[in-house]
Amino acid sequence: MADAVRSSARAPARDQFQLSRLLRAREAGVFFALLAICLFLTFATDGFLTSVNLLNVGRQISLLGIMSIGMTFVLISGEVDLSVGSTYASSGLSTGMLICLGWPLLPALGVGLLTGLAIGLINGLLSTYGRLPSLIATLGMLSMVRGTALILTSGQPVTVNTRNGALPDVLATFEYMGQGYLFGTVPMQLVFFIIIAALAWVVLSATTFGFRVFAVGGSAKAARVSGIHVNAVKIWAFILMGVLAAFAGILSLAFLPSGQAGRTGLGLELDVIAATIVGGASLSGGEGTILGTILGVLIIGVMRNGLVLLGVSPFVQEFMIGLVIVIAVGIDKWSTRRRA
Amino acid sequence: MKDMANSDFIAIAGVTKRFPGVLALDHIAVSFRSGEVHAVIGENGAGKSTLMNILAGDLQPTEGEIRVDGAPTRFASALESRAAGIVVVYQELALCPTMTVAENIMMSDLATRSVVSFVPRATMRAEARAALARLGMGALDPDTKVGRLSVAEMQLVEIARAIRQRARVVVLDEPNSALSRRESERLFDVVRQLREEGVTVIYVSHHLHEVLHLADRITVMRDGRTIETLDNENLSEDRLIRAMVGRDLGNTAPWHRNPAASSEDAPIVLSIENLTAPGLSDISFDVHAGEILGIGGLPDSGKDGLGEALFGLHERTGRVAIDDKDLRPADPLASIRDGMSFVPADRRGASGLLSMSVADNVISASLARFSVGGMLRRAAIRREARGQVARLDARIARLGQKLGTLSGGNQQKIILGRSLVTNPRVLILHEPTRGIDVGAKAEIYSILRGIAGEGVAIVMISSEIPELIVNAERVLVLRAGRISGEMRGEGINEEAILARAMAS
Repeated sequence: MADAVRSSARAPARDQFQLSRLLRAREAGVFFALLAICLFLTFATDGFLTSVNLLNVGRQISLLGIMSIGMTFVLISGEVDLSVGSTYASSGLSTGMLICLGWPLLPALGVGLLTGLAIGLINGLLSTYGRLPSLIATLGMLSMVRGTALILTSGQPVTVNTRNGALPDVLATFEYMGQGYLFGTVPMQLVFFIIIAALAWVVLSATTFGFRVFAVGGSAKAARVSGIHVNAVKIWAFILMGVLAAFAGILSLAFLPSGQAGRTGLGLELDVIAATIVGGASLSGGEGTILGTILGVLIIGVMRNGLVLLGVSPFVQEFMIGLVIVIAVGIDKWSTRRRA
Repeated sequence: MKDMANSDFIAIAGVTKRFPGVLALDHIAVSFRSGEVHAVIGENGAGKSTLMNILAGDLQPTEGEIRVDGAPTRFASALESRAAGIVVVYQELALCPTMTVAENIMMSDLATRSVVSFVPRATMRAEARAALARLGMGALDPDTKVGRLSVAEMQLVEIARAIRQRARVVVLDEPNSALSRRESERLFDVVRQLREEGVTVIYVSHHLHEVLHLADRITVMRDGRTIETLDNENLSEDRLIRAMVGRDLGNTAPWHRNPAASSEDAPIVLSIENLTAPGLSDISFDVHAGEILGIGGLPDSGKDGLGEALFGLHERTGRVAIDDKDLRPADPLASIRDGMSFVPADRRGASGLLSMSVADNVISASLARFSVGGMLRRAAIRREARGQVARLDARIARLGQKLGTLSGGNQQKIILGRSLVTNPRVLILHEPTRGIDVGAKAEIYSILRGIAGEGVAIVMISSEIPELIVNAERVLVLRAGRISGEMRGEGINEEAILARAMAS
């Protein structure tokens, strides 16, 4: 027995793809759940399996998706970020206000993204050198960041249009980012999501940074013995999260194109964490994939879309989404315990 | 002895405990009388803890019999053992730190009441105070939160709780490793008090002079067997040490007998001068190229923090230098770069990345070498991992297998592989074979000798004396944070190591 196992270690062919391994992969369960929901909706509704509807779903999930990508890094590193909804609101609003002050697009975008970066940096510093649990640190930041946005906007809505001072060509590009279509068919938000997801997939699975994120979340002590700077890795994960939340917030304002510090992105952090967890990331760190997160985001997006197509009341929709989260994570936990 | 058997309260006969691949207890025979202080001594791994776990009901014997008051008994759980009046006070105390002293002492009374019953605070406080007073602890405020007490006070609170539960046997497992001299004295008074009241005190300890000071009888364990039970009359520390030594070294011949192992003339690689760190003061020693230096000592000797201090995981002062280049303190990455690698004791929690693959673990301390511009070189990683797996003869199914799914021995081989990939000049190992089966131990020893043969200086910190004897060319023994003895070659034996670690 031992010999058989040993010899197989030296047969490289066995290291390659195997169907059974593919089926046992963490993403498999989520994928089949998504497939089942899609099949059901295909037969139960008229409008689900049409390119118009699917592209519409794609646009609806994009902002959630972009943020969930960031959350995947934070969760794998063993932390959590509750401030993302506030970051989303404040960054979008700062970019919007600057555009209304007649700023060109790039500096306005830059300030918005820098806002997210700064929030991420503060989250990271508080959760590492500040020795606060990230749950507490980012809970505090959730309020402080939204409070700052309320102070800066005096609680008034920010609407980006030429009447409020935006330059016409700046406004056109800005709106294209949020409302436009690539080749007239693919929503720009979805394009951004796909590009970010692809980059994140490479970063997480093929770079030393991705490696370190997994190591730090898997065991901070063991990572330290390997010479990995645990605090630095976690801080960068928070910064990445902050920038992605800021970018999603900017796109949201470009889509609507109006936001209000007291309303925009309220409670969004819970959707983001839910999608990421459904996708297989673990709250205790060390586990998670970009593919899983995309599937998790899709499940939530398809569910919302399907429930609308089925004409289910919004109240029941909210209930169903919660049910899906509990079932999806429950199945994952029960099956891991069986394996252990 | 036999004619006194009727006063035996607990009699253990022929108790054997097998774990997969390990015979932890081998036909134990020992009896405990009412109203005696009975010390159990033995080296690390002699089986003391396993025996206490069986008494506590946490483990069940594979075979053999335990009689309580003459009736054969089997403790299926800790609750049953408690019901029989046996209370174990572990080193890791089982108190609730956020509750008060009174609440902790009265916990079992509270637990057995019906949920809705009214708990009179005043009664609780009074009863707790009475229990404390019996231990000479009347001054302790029952309303203090347990988390704010010293370790010594917590131990006494736990003993007070045991008395409340009408304990007939109190097991104290290494009670004094965290106590000051005065606190120890108070504990001894309490132990004597318990004896006066007819309670059996089983006292597990490494500290021979205390055992001689306190115990009525002393049972010596070695290799899972009870060697002898001695009445404490005219005994000396030497006499006890002689009874404790003689452990089976297995088939491995001590490495120092091999002429190839001599490194006295080799250049010094690691030099340590006046190292002071938590639990350690003023440590100085050198390690030569190709030398395996063993570090021994009791759990509270400071040896368990040595690896962390050298590697830069703990704060330190003093000089640590490799090839005469000073290492930066508190910077593990710099330590690795300057040629030091560390394998911590806690393989599951602190050493291996259990949720990551074998290949990832192998290169996790050498990321710079296996990446270009931040991108991992997957092909090179697999090649290196495959090479290390073959060299260390680790039994794995796939390179992508998670480390946590391997056996202890194979995990440790992979972690050694991680160290080797960094091309270390100095390899620091802490408990390198803890929890590993005998066969894998021998394999790891031969791997370590191979590494030393390539000129690496190895520091092996271990609680297992046979491991030091079999592998080390030179052994340093620590006691109370300082080096208490050094031996080399034929001078390395169990008696010498134990005497320097334990004797006062």
